[in-house]
Amino acid sequence: MAEPIVKIRELTKLYSQGEIQVTALDRITLDIAAGEFLALMGPSGSGKSTLLHIIAGVDRPTSGQCLVQGVDVTKLNESALADWRNHNVGFIFQTFNLIPVLTAAENVELPLLLTRLSRTQRRKQVETALEVVGLADRAKHLPRQLSGGQEQRVAIARALVTDPALIVADEPTGNLDSHSAQEVLGALQSLRKDAGKTIIMVTHDPKAAAFGTRQIHLEKGELS
Amino acid sequence: MTIPTFILKNALRNKRRALLSISSGAVSLFLLVTLQVALRELTLPPQSAGAELRVAVRNKISITNPLPVRQRGIIEKIPGVEAVTPFTWFGGKYKGEEGMSFAQFAMDADKLHSVFGEAKMNGDGYEKFNATKDACVLGKITADKYHLKVGDQMTLDSTIYPGSLSFHIAGIYFGTPDDRNMLFRQDYLDESIGEPGYVGMWWLKVKSADDMVPVIKAINAAFQNTSAEVRAESERNFQLGFISMLGNIKTLIASISTVVVFTLVLVTASTMSMAVRERFRELAILKALGFRRRELFAFILAESFGLAVAGALLGIGGAYCLYTFGDIGKMTAGIFVSFEVTPRIMGVAALVAALLGIIAAVAPSLSVARMSVVNGLKTLD
Ligand SMILES: Nc1ncnc2c1ncn2[C@@H]1O[C@H](COP(=O)(O)OP(=O)(O)OP(=O)(O)O)[C@@H](O)[C@H]1O
Ligand SMILES: [Mg+2]
Repeated sequence: MAEPIVKIRELTKLYSQGEIQVTALDRITLDIAAGEFLALMGPSGSGKSTLLHIIAGVDRPTSGQCLVQGVDVTKLNESALADWRNHNVGFIFQTFNLIPVLTAAENVELPLLLTRLSRTQRRKQVETALEVVGLADRAKHLPRQLSGGQEQRVAIARALVTDPALIVADEPTGNLDSHSAQEVLGALQSLRKDAGKTIIMVTHDPKAAAFGTRQIHLEKGELS
Repeated sequence: MTIPTFILKNALRNKRRALLSISSGAVSLFLLVTLQVALRELTLPPQSAGAELRVAVRNKISITNPLPVRQRGIIEKIPGVEAVTPFTWFGGKYKGEEGMSFAQFAMDADKLHSVFGEAKMNGDGYEKFNATKDACVLGKITADKYHLKVGDQMTLDSTIYPGSLSFHIAGIYFGTPDDRNMLFRQDYLDESIGEPGYVGMWWLKVKSADDMVPVIKAINAAFQNTSAEVRAESERNFQLGFISMLGNIKTLIASISTVVVFTLVLVTASTMSMAVRERFRELAILKALGFRRRELFAFILAESFGLAVAGALLGIGGAYCLYTFGDIGKMTAGIFVSFEVTPRIMGVAALVAALLGIIAAVAPSLSVARMSVVNGLKTLD
């Protein structure tokens, strides 16, 4: 079997609040293969977001290892981690993903402002990304002029515009009606199929999870 | 889109707040410039040509104590003295006005040109002043204010001497830093009040700048241990003596300026804090996308700096235009004749604005630095 894109070993995250210690993640060990669409399920408070945040390099574990494409993200410093995120991870959050004063195209362009790409190259990549999610005609719209599903698809376009290997999504359909959710899930699914992206998606919804190639369940910080 | 346009869009997202913040900066800086110019005008008397050769001689006890006329002969003999004239405060009120709106002095008509040579007059003003006893010359500002012209008669009620005196205007002078005084003849005053043998002060002109110090020393020494000891000093020092009386006004202006700046710091800082707080989640998303702390700092700083500088441009520019192209004499009812917005004052105000922009960015930058992506994302969730 090929080397997994994400390799997690004995990952633990503790929160201490005064006397009480909360174990958000309890010695998790998990491999995610390249090209997988992993659906991460579990009840509220089970540690799904925490796990996702550590894999994506925005949170740090208390102990354990998390290698993404061979890089131990837990060992990078702040600035190196920021740079690593910019190149290797695409983010989709549940709500308020977009900057309200920027158009769809400008929102998608944001991560590219950190690269050395020229203005025309940036515009081309933005166009391509919006086409992939089927919103080329909405490039000039502001977030408030888009439906919830369209907003999430713009967020998907922004997540893929830097061409990262890994895309993480925390309940991307949590606020959507079933029709919009279908659109968003379809877009994610085609990213995996057509572009070979690895996707990790947190969801409560079994129907959404069914779009994944594998489902795993977290329960009180442990895989079940 | 580029980073500057991104910053601009952020700064202008709440147009009303941006406008209010820019306006408060503009108003405060306008006020600051105004106060600084006023302070400068008050502490820096207009230097007239010829001032460096003029000496004022007053009674050592106080400027209100008169000097005996016999002093003139002694002063005139001191080497280096070119011309001497009495200069006596009349304290007249014009047309029954409440207070004195311009100063009047009695002097020698034939010394006007030699001692106060920078006063220019059209026509035969100097000749007529010499020829007619009840002649007077009037500064252009005052003449314009009361619509007086050559040949007109004017009557003043003295607050010092009994009764009133009437004069014929022989000339309107201009070209001095403050064309407001009325000058008339000492012999006319003496005659009307019965030759008292006293004058208010002496003003004199020395031959060259090198004579200044020896002449002042000689005059001070000449009347030592007499019944009327004098203090002779250069025109500049004489005026500064007046200004030291303005000490309280200086302190007042300085403290108002401090309050203005301090208030502006608070307003700008709270505006920036608000602007950043309501964008906390967005800043967390930018962090997640790979923006580093220093880039987020730069965004906040640029926005804060931009708002402060926009306010500064409006406020300082507005003050400059108003005081340069407006009629300051009219605006201040004659209190100020010149109101120069100097490059130095504009520079200081711009510097205050720039510092302000930076200071206002500090607190929000610190809170953004402390924010982790995870915590930032939780706000508003
Ligand atoms: N900053 C924190 N301080 C203390 N405890 C925390 C903190 N963040 C998370 N936790 C705790 O860690 C556990 C896991 O939280 P996490 O957000 O990962 O859950 P989740 O599975 O994403 O839940 P949900 O489905 O509601 O989003 C919870 O018990 C939570 O209370
Ligand atoms: Mg969660």
